[in-house]
Amino acid sequence: MEIGSGVRIGPFEVFAPLQPAVSMVRHYGEHRFPGRLIVVEGIDGSGKSTQLSLLHKWLESKGYGVVFSEWNSSPLVKDTTKHGKKKKLLTPATFSLIHSTDFADRTERSILPLLKAGAVVLCDRYIYTAFARDVARGMDRAWVRDLYGFAVKPAIAFYFRVPLETAINRLLDGRDGFKFYEAGMDLNLADDSVESFRLFQGRILSEYEKMIPEFGLTVVDATLPIEVQQMQVRQIVKAHLDKAKELRVQA
Amino acid sequence: MRETYGRLLPEMRLADLGGKLIVIEGTDGAGRSTQIDLLKPWLEELGHAVVDTGMTRSPLAGEGIRRAKEGNNLGRVTQALFYATDFVDRLENEIVPALRAGFIVLTDRYIYSLMARAIVRGMDPRWIRSIYSVALKPDAVFYLRLGIDQLLPRVVFSRGFDYWESGMDLYPGHDMFDSFCSYQAALLTEFDRLSAEFNFQMVDAAADARTVCAQLQKNILHLLERDSRKNFISRLYNDSITAPQPTDTGLYAIAAPVAAPSANGNGNGNGHHHHAAHPGR
Repeated sequence: MEIGSGVRIGPFEVFAPLQPAVSMVRHYGEHRFPGRLIVVEGIDGSGKSTQLSLLHKWLESKGYGVVFSEWNSSPLVKDTTKHGKKKKLLTPATFSLIHSTDFADRTERSILPLLKAGAVVLCDRYIYTAFARDVARGMDRAWVRDLYGFAVKPAIAFYFRVPLETAINRLLDGRDGFKFYEAGMDLNLADDSVESFRLFQGRILSEYEKMIPEFGLTVVDATLPIEVQQMQVRQIVKAHLDKAKELRVQA
Repeated sequence: MRETYGRLLPEMRLADLGGKLIVIEGTDGAGRSTQIDLLKPWLEELGHAVVDTGMTRSPLAGEGIRRAKEGNNLGRVTQALFYATDFVDRLENEIVPALRAGFIVLTDRYIYSLMARAIVRGMDPRWIRSIYSVALKPDAVFYLRLGIDQLLPRVVFSRGFDYWESGMDLYPGHDMFDSFCSYQAALLTEFDRLSAEFNFQMVDAAADARTVCAQLQKNILHLLERDSRKNFISRLYNDSITAPQPTDTGLYAIAAPVAAPSANGNGNGNGHHHHAAHPGR
């Protein structure tokens, strides 16, 4: 087997099955689709979902066809993920695989066809979430990147950077603990869910930092006022979409 | 010591995985489950503890895959990954613990079927192989081979055409007969390729079940005797010496991507082979 031979196949290439028994990878750059993919990343409590929803409303008001897709939301797969979490069946490996399955279904069913149709597709969390979490759980960095080799490259990937304590304070405001997998309790880092969350999210933050140069993430300072962040986000998105002539815009 | 196809899952300790991992591969209708039903009581009679496993039997993903297939709207990449989830759940929670406890694990299909299906559906072979690089190398792979002419009456005349067995997701709009033939022929071609690469032991599945079983039994006995002899000899030499205790730290040295996984000669237990990187075909 040629595994580990250093051949890099992804991420950001889409498998386009041609004839059966003919194995081919077609390389799609972002420019090949009329649509545009914009994703937001960051740890829980970074405020990325708030920013994405404000961006969503603004883009709609500009007449763009906008579609939203959320991490872990495939109608075909999410029940299995839920079942695995509830029964605590998930190991780092199956946690990784079931999330990639969910992502694959959303890619095949909605993200890809919508980009072909000329929509602006907004994703709350993307493959970088998997890279950060799975590696924080001890999965091999290269294996996880290969796993998502079928993903479409986003036009813009915003990373909402926030210090750990700020995020924890935002999250604990209004609830008194964290869920089992959210806090990385499966890793036995600490008995207390808040402490476990802190340690686990710390690992995730350091993975995100490494990915900024690796994948060219666009960093937003998530400690700034919401309005200031949104203004920056809109500016960057506008500059990009103005160049995208083939995008469908309603009059 | 047992090996994987190149990458190691977290917490996977290979040092104490005794037992035997025996794979029965073959396309639909080759008689895999019939053979496993014959082999299991036979092995137990000989005094071996046996666990059998197969696709979609995982507590995590089995039910989800069945539900997803009902709707006939399961995409190709999604399908490949759903099956990988099912496989790894069984690998970690069923196969590995059984091997550790010294069981013989009989598995109805293994990564080869999953790779063949994905490759036939147009996935990049490097992609699917990378995913299954975490799988354990088995002690033997028996490939029950059946030509398309023999396959057709066995599958179709007993239970009719099945949407997925006919590869209808690949040939929408075809009639099921044409689709079945194209799909199964493509699978056979892919299996033949994998057979050479992973050193399958070929068994002619066209013969009657008893004959096939006798051949499997002969080969399995050979495997078990060879290893018990080897164990006996190594015990003779090692009893007086303190056996080195495998440690986690030692094992994690292997956890880094290994550049030379090779499956050749895997069934013969002599794992030293030259590895040539050949990116796809």
